[in-house]
Amino acid sequence: MATFNKEAPGLPTIQGKIRSERVHKEKVALFRVAEGLRKRVGQSKEYEVVSEKESERQKRPVFENWILSSEYEEALKFEKQLLKQYRGKTLEESLPGKVVSNEQGECYEISSSCFAKFKRVTYEESKQVMISDLKVLPGIGPVNERLLKKQGYGTVEDLERHPRWKKQAYEYMELVDTKEVGAVQKWLWQRFPKSHPLLHYLAGFCQDHDFAIVDIETLGLSERPIILLGIAKPTKDHICTTQFLLRDIPDEPGAIWAMLAQLDPKLSLITYNGKSFDIPYIKQRLAYYGLDAYIDNPNFDILHFTRRALKPKLTDCKLETVEKYLGIKRDINIPGALVPHFYDTYLRTKNVGPLTPIVEHNRQDLLTLGTLFSKLYEEW
Amino acid sequence: MIEEFIRQIKQSSSYKKQIAHIEELPAHIASFGELEKPLPENLQRVLLYRKIQLYSHQAQAINEARSGKNVVIVTPTASGKTLAFNIPVLEALTSDEKSTALYIYPAKALANDQLKVLKGLEKESGIKADANIYDGDTPQHQRSNIRKNSRIILTNPYGLHQYLPWHYQWRNFFQNLRFIVMDEAHVYRGVFGSSVAMVIRRLLRICNHYHADPQIILSSATIANPKEHAKKLTGKDCEIVSNDGSPRGKKSFVFWNPPFIGSTNTLRRSTHLETKDLLTWNVLQNLQTLCFTTSRQTAELVTRWTKEELTAKAKPTNVVTAYRAGYLPQERRDIENRLKNKKLSGVVSTNALELGIDIGSLDSVIISGYPGTVISTWQQAGRAGRSNLESIVTLVAYQNPLDQYFMKHPSDFFGRSHEQAIIDLRNRYISLGHIMCASSELPINDLDKQFFPELLAESIQALEQEKLVRKTPRGWVYSGTARTTEVVSLKNISDKTVTVLCEGNLLETLTLNKAYEEAHSGAVLLHQGETYICENLDLDQLIAKVRQENVNYYTEALKDVEVTIDKTHEKSDKSTGIGLGELSITEIYHTYITKTYDTVIKRIPLNLPPLTFSTVGLWFIVPDEVKEEIENRGLDFGGGLHAVEHAMIAMAPIFAMCDRWDIGGLSTPLHSDTNESTIFIYDGFEGGIGISEVLYLKIKLLWEKTLELIEKCECKEGCPSCIYSPKCGNENEPLDKKAAGIILKEMLKVYATDCNNSRK
Repeated sequence: MATFNKEAPGLPTIQGKIRSERVHKEKVALFRVAEGLRKRVGQSKEYEVVSEKESERQKRPVFENWILSSEYEEALKFEKQLLKQYRGKTLEESLPGKVVSNEQGECYEISSSCFAKFKRVTYEESKQVMISDLKVLPGIGPVNERLLKKQGYGTVEDLERHPRWKKQAYEYMELVDTKEVGAVQKWLWQRFPKSHPLLHYLAGFCQDHDFAIVDIETLGLSERPIILLGIAKPTKDHICTTQFLLRDIPDEPGAIWAMLAQLDPKLSLITYNGKSFDIPYIKQRLAYYGLDAYIDNPNFDILHFTRRALKPKLTDCKLETVEKYLGIKRDINIPGALVPHFYDTYLRTKNVGPLTPIVEHNRQDLLTLGTLFSKLYEEW
Repeated sequence: MIEEFIRQIKQSSSYKKQIAHIEELPAHIASFGELEKPLPENLQRVLLYRKIQLYSHQAQAINEARSGKNVVIVTPTASGKTLAFNIPVLEALTSDEKSTALYIYPAKALANDQLKVLKGLEKESGIKADANIYDGDTPQHQRSNIRKNSRIILTNPYGLHQYLPWHYQWRNFFQNLRFIVMDEAHVYRGVFGSSVAMVIRRLLRICNHYHADPQIILSSATIANPKEHAKKLTGKDCEIVSNDGSPRGKKSFVFWNPPFIGSTNTLRRSTHLETKDLLTWNVLQNLQTLCFTTSRQTAELVTRWTKEELTAKAKPTNVVTAYRAGYLPQERRDIENRLKNKKLSGVVSTNALELGIDIGSLDSVIISGYPGTVISTWQQAGRAGRSNLESIVTLVAYQNPLDQYFMKHPSDFFGRSHEQAIIDLRNRYISLGHIMCASSELPINDLDKQFFPELLAESIQALEQEKLVRKTPRGWVYSGTARTTEVVSLKNISDKTVTVLCEGNLLETLTLNKAYEEAHSGAVLLHQGETYICENLDLDQLIAKVRQENVNYYTEALKDVEVTIDKTHEKSDKSTGIGLGELSITEIYHTYITKTYDTVIKRIPLNLPPLTFSTVGLWFIVPDEVKEEIENRGLDFGGGLHAVEHAMIAMAPIFAMCDRWDIGGLSTPLHSDTNESTIFIYDGFEGGIGISEVLYLKIKLLWEKTLELIEKCECKEGCPSCIYSPKCGNENEPLDKKAAGIILKEMLKVYATDCNNSRK
């Protein structure tokens, strides 16, 4: 068999010509196979387009990717319109921001600040709740708890005097008193479902500036590049968002690194399904590039709280649906499931139009998470 | 004992000279081997405890592995291959308590079986390896624990394909990986084997990323080219260990040809009924017997009839059962155990028991119908024969020309070499897909040429053109919007599975294609020899509802296969009308028949939507003049076309580096798209896999080689070496060898004339 990448050396002989023809033919054939692969990649969708009728008839899965067919068509129309509107425009004029660089590469940073109320419980309130539930201690169930309360042990603190429970009570109280958010969170995850309100009350252990809301946009549900990483930091009445966008795929390691630089290990994350999606995804991408970074921040994954508190009131727990319930309105929006498609169009056309709603979608998600986090306290 | 058994059969009143041949395979005594250096104390204790002295091949394999070489062990079933690879692995795990090993099995059932073995060895040797299975059945909540703690993980290629992109979760395991063990490696051949070869390269690339360089141990049934196969499968040179040192008792290999019915000289008694009689005799003579059949339904029927026979003779029937894919895992394990404990004296199985599930060795094996390859035949025969004890293997022939040929030429079978296991690393479809997968695991750069020496640069270029990868400073990065491992699949099997429910309880599962045959409404579904009537097959929900009812008939669904040309990619302007393009292969199940034994009772129309798959294939037209010439000579034109199709498919693997099971064909004297006599040869894979493309480019060479095959073959009317196909849907009928020779000569003549004309 002829080797592939070496053209026949020397003067063109007949054999040389035949050979280069064969090389060319093989290449053409390979391109045809790649085209077929591309088609199959295009057909393999991670979301389902359902008609209004179907969506009413079938029980909607809680956190699955589906889009109403009307929304789908609207989004495609919107994309066309954007391509027209942004033809010939640069990234800087369409999405004001700046190129930043770090040891892993470059990316495009977009910042904004927005007025928003961010509410959480105080440490005192929080502590009260955290120590009143005796079931936090391994071995104490509802029956034991009732009995102990009858005997006058109203809080875990009281149990420090109890002959049987004092050791564990002391251990727990030490974590509570030193405000070890991460350690208490891990303790509670062992004892309760992730949706337990105690895990939400735990936020009282933090200051406002201890939080970072994190949300990423990706080319798919796993194993594909992250295209945008958003991080937001709440203050008393403002939420400041910083987004790291990939101008193209080579920006990915730089963008991840830039976001991680903002993520002090002491910060508590607020995410929506971040425990199973965003954080493992970031870790997978780091490993993909052979990079090492340890992310072990406490994580307030409010998807779980939302499910527990709002599921009876909502058809599903997609963030868009929750927003409708909270009365938050988005000016521009595309369904989250279509983000990969819009970014793919940007990559193909180099027209920044389809990027704009992705950035806005992500920014809005960050803000909604801040609001939702505060509102949930009203539901317990 | 066996001689006596055969003598009794020959004397019985129902014996009608069915024995066409008996080949005596002589006994050989054990030969033992020495290890170059002693094993650690804990492993010595295991061998002592089990009273094991290592056979020569085991010692050789262990010596090679301990000296750091990659090894492929090629010895028969039940020769102790498992121990030969477990010992070096366990030694490595003893000396370094971090090191890990990955075992890859082609089927889940095998992994389950081997897990027991490994757990036993762990216990006896005191090694903590926490061996575990990690596959599609592993519950989500156990996965992270297994990845973190198990030092031996058993999986299958399908799972591995899916897990590789998640390598960071396996980091500890891969970092410390010392051994990759692949059992039953001969299964990895043809298109499937080529895909697995690419998965192994992806695995080795990830190991390299984590600075691990695992040793490889393969075990394989006898094939013609073990060294080459091992190299292609893993990319590494392997030492061959093939001198079997395990002892064997004498084995009598009987060729059994069903007798002619009455005074006719054309129609033979049913193979299934003969098998039933043989199995009954075996069981009555207290020979523990494993009977292999070529289909699920036959396995069930033979079981049922044997039970009836035993009942008539007032003997217990619970000593016989069927075994096949589709049974629930628990059911299968139960049968395996009862077989091992000698509680069962007869099991009728599909090839599901051909691979190395440990069921002990048996006194007798019946092979009902030639299984299609020499490899399989010997694998199945290898199930008979405990060390030093005599055993018997009986091959019962079908009436088809292939089986009949072996009955008439037994020496041809025994002299025949095992098939080659072919792997193609240059298949564009396969390599491009897996290079794309690799690009989603780690960025691809020039150094990856060591793992993908073929076509890497060109593939990347093609993928970039389609925007599936992007160039970055860190290498080529996957940038498609779909999961690569979902787009690329290892085997072209329909993932649609039909669930069979009986009164709301799960009875079994089967693929959609099988459900069309066995679980359509009105079908009799056989399960462990019991009859169930299918009430309804719901194609939306993929559920078949059945009720248990004892009936004395069974059913067979009849189908027509149609090929249509959807799109022509390339077409020669020659009068041979050679074309290459997209084809639709449609199977229409139109009727089912009810049968009692071999008698057809009723024909009932079926109303099922056709099953279609699209693929790539080539076709060519046989001119009318050729047809006239053949018919003038009194030969069978249809038989000629059919024979050419078979023989071309038989030769195709030489050109396209595939297995003949990867290719399909159809020949017809009048095709509706071409309006002429046409022969189609197509890829047996949804979307095509590149086989027909290669054949299309080399059609002249293929015809020449096929003609040579037919002309040089010394048989008169055709034989397995030329025009008989082991997988013909029409029982190898009609076939006409002479007509086939004429067709091929004429095709080559027309082709040459066309070439000359076009040069002028």
